[in-house]
Amino acid sequence: MRYDDPELRELLAAEYVLGTMPSRSRRRFERLIASNPVSARAVGAWADRLAPIDTGTPAEEPPGRVWCAVEARIAPGSAPPAPAHGWFGSLAFWRGLAVAACAAAAGLIIYVAAFPGRIGPPTPEVVAVLADQSGDPSWIAIVGPQRGEVSVSAVRAQAEDTRHSFELWGITGGAPRPLGLLRPQSGSAAIIRAAQLPPGDLLAVSLEPPEGSPTGLPTGPVLSRGKVLLTPP
Amino acid sequence: MLYTQTAAKLFGVAVRIVGQREEAEEVLQESFVAVWQRAGDYDAARGSATGWLTTIVRHCAIDHLRRRAGRPESRSAPEDLLLKFAAGESTDRGAELSVLQRCLGELDEQPRRAVLLAYVYGFTREEIATGCAVPVGTIKSWIRRSIERLKRCLDG
Repeated sequence: MRYDDPELRELLAAEYVLGTMPSRSRRRFERLIASNPVSARAVGAWADRLAPIDTGTPAEEPPGRVWCAVEARIAPGSAPPAPAHGWFGSLAFWRGLAVAACAAAAGLIIYVAAFPGRIGPPTPEVVAVLADQSGDPSWIAIVGPQRGEVSVSAVRAQAEDTRHSFELWGITGGAPRPLGLLRPQSGSAAIIRAAQLPPGDLLAVSLEPPEGSPTGLPTGPVLSRGKVLLTPP
Repeated sequence: MLYTQTAAKLFGVAVRIVGQREEAEEVLQESFVAVWQRAGDYDAARGSATGWLTTIVRHCAIDHLRRRAGRPESRSAPEDLLLKFAAGESTDRGAELSVLQRCLGELDEQPRRAVLLAYVYGFTREEIATGCAVPVGTIKSWIRRSIERLKRCLDG
């Protein structure tokens, strides 16, 4: 088929989103969009054109057992496939993250990546995702484990040495205040009081001496940052 | 609670298509495993993350219906969903919807119904053809013409 014909491309993209393609044609078309950005963009545009129809559908809370089942089907300890086109790497995505309603769904995926063995009810609530300069998430803050607490941990193990530490900062109106040292090992969390994280605040991680910044202000380079997305309970 | 809203919206869409909660749970589960496997395919330059997630959920729901080879009996008319929202508040979303509604309104009644039955309830071309008592080829050309007209209207 001549996928480079713009009219045909539009038609196939729209039929793909509408759901009227026979199953086999759809799988074939899915293989195409994986390698053809023009068709992939046409699909995205049709999904967004028709999405307003879904606003008429009432939201329904899915039961927590759905996430248990997802967990059971994802091999423990596995990592998601390396992103070819920057789901994690896209700056535009991270810029949108702080305001878009999709933030927490992305957070779920990051959460799954960071803690493959720990999904289940109650569902994890993502407080913030801190991304490094290339846009890759490096730290994630989630609700818990106790009420009034937020748990901050490395999405992937951070390069560690004995001469440095990773310090977390909360930034309101440009003024940083120290929130504590983080643990660079993947899966090991630092606990922060939720009251210290007002929504809309910026969180940042800087590289500091082993005991943390001696001045109460960041002294080393800022490695990652992210916005507080929700008020932890 | 952003996360909760997204999951609930996606679950609502799954329930709408498969018609009952237990099966919609399976669909949501399938969908999030697919999201896990395909996270590398997503690119913000190719549309919103919500649109991407919704498309995955809708396709999983449609596959579920096709495997079951049968669909729920009671269905409200797909137009009702649009009307129900239109009566609501005028959010940004509402503005987008009213443009889409106007463009859908410019289609002839039967082709519009075909498009909505496909999007809202995941009807196949064959099911729509049976419902309208016309050949499948007619449905194909209705949908094709509707797509062209919608695109002109929405982008114009």
